[in-house]
Amino acid sequence: MSEVVNIFASYAPELLNALILTLEVTFLSFAIGLAGGVAIAISRASTPKPIKILITAFVELVRGTPMVVQLFFIYYALPSIGIKLDPFTASVFAMGLNSAVYQSEYWRTAIGSIPKTQWEAAYSLGLSTFGVLANVVLPQALRIAIPLLSNELIYLLKFSSIAYFVALPELVYTGKWIASKTFAYIEIYTIIAIFYIVITMILSEILVRLEKKLSIPGITIKRI
Amino acid sequence: MKTLLQAIDIHKYFGKQHVLKGINLDVYEGETLVIIGPSGSGKSTLLRCLNLLIKPDRGRIIFDGVDITSGGVDINKVRQEIGFVFQSYNLFAHLTAIENVVLGLVKVKKMSREEARRVAAEALLSVGITEDLWSKYPAQLSGGQQQRVAIARAIAMNPRLLLLDEPTSALDPELTVEVLNVLEKLSEKRMTMIIVTHQLGFAMRAADEVVFMEDGKIVEKGPPEKILLNPEKERTREFVSRLMELYRMERMRRQ
Repeated sequence: MSEVVNIFASYAPELLNALILTLEVTFLSFAIGLAGGVAIAISRASTPKPIKILITAFVELVRGTPMVVQLFFIYYALPSIGIKLDPFTASVFAMGLNSAVYQSEYWRTAIGSIPKTQWEAAYSLGLSTFGVLANVVLPQALRIAIPLLSNELIYLLKFSSIAYFVALPELVYTGKWIASKTFAYIEIYTIIAIFYIVITMILSEILVRLEKKLSIPGITIKRI
Repeated sequence: MKTLLQAIDIHKYFGKQHVLKGINLDVYEGETLVIIGPSGSGKSTLLRCLNLLIKPDRGRIIFDGVDITSGGVDINKVRQEIGFVFQSYNLFAHLTAIENVVLGLVKVKKMSREEARRVAAEALLSVGITEDLWSKYPAQLSGGQQQRVAIARAIAMNPRLLLLDEPTSALDPELTVEVLNVLEKLSEKRMTMIIVTHQLGFAMRAADEVVFMEDGKIVEKGPPEKILLNPEKERTREFVSRLMELYRMERMRRQ
């Protein structure tokens, strides 16, 4: 146990930087996923058929391949057509894309669960389709989607460890690096595991509070 | 009297089902028009065609001299002028009573929030929704309160025409009275209204004209005394007498 504390003490700055990097990758990819997910969900519902087929194909492609393969593709294959991304950008981009596809499914379910009559009432006031989505449908869908989005954020936190494969010094990469210098494999991976667990617990708590804060009688699904 | 809305030979199909079979209807400015008819006769579909929530397959709708069924008309503009009140209220579930009314004023009419709240407050008070209810969510209101908020939401937009689709049929008798009183007041103020309802007492008191619809067609129309008390067509007589029977039973039960 004292060895764990020693290692932590001597590598605290590196570990802290790694933690910050992990959180940056997680939150940025979540944000890209959120924007992309809503966009995909809406366009799958309303755009003309050719575009819909294209989007569906993209969704199936991303869902059907491992995230590591997508990351390798973005990091190693894109340079051959002149797009060269650094490890951080490549990781955020790969995870964001992946998350967008999964989030689009959550949003599709949430939007689909808003009764058609809410659309009718909003259209009757003279709102455009965009106005109906922005003011009536998405605010309600968000409240239904929050539990699913919470899970997604926590998945992303842990998935961010794949950035290790493109040598981004996030938590796992940094852990491996410290381990190779100190040979304290068990100690350092214990520290890393604790980091993930603590962050997960903090995020869960924040999300539960957010859900409560946004809860509205008649919409929010009660937690049992 | 000026014609505000004219429906000319409206047809609607749902798949193979012919729901509206050539409806012709004139609505005059300031009049209260009541539509009665058995369920499945196309009343709700007709109302939804009039503000193009449902696109008619054939026929034209002239609103204030403009053919709104022809392309090139901004339907969102037209809908600002036509209020709609639904059988199931359809208040926006994520907004409080007053925010339900404010939304259209701010987002569609482009009012400032303060002005919108002032107009919304006035509309809510006019339907008897007092200040203590303004910050309640729809799920916290009774059916009658929800429907009155829905009416406030529609009239706050200052529409030229109000369409009401069975506004009281989801309500208890006591709550029905609340809503009917509001509608009678609107009718006295000469708000142009088309109301689908089976409240015969209300129709007798408030309607300028009653239309009896069946099987996607208008069977008979005329002043309420004629349609409700002395109709020409046998089918109208049958339907109205059955409604009268229900109406009498309802009254007896309440006494």
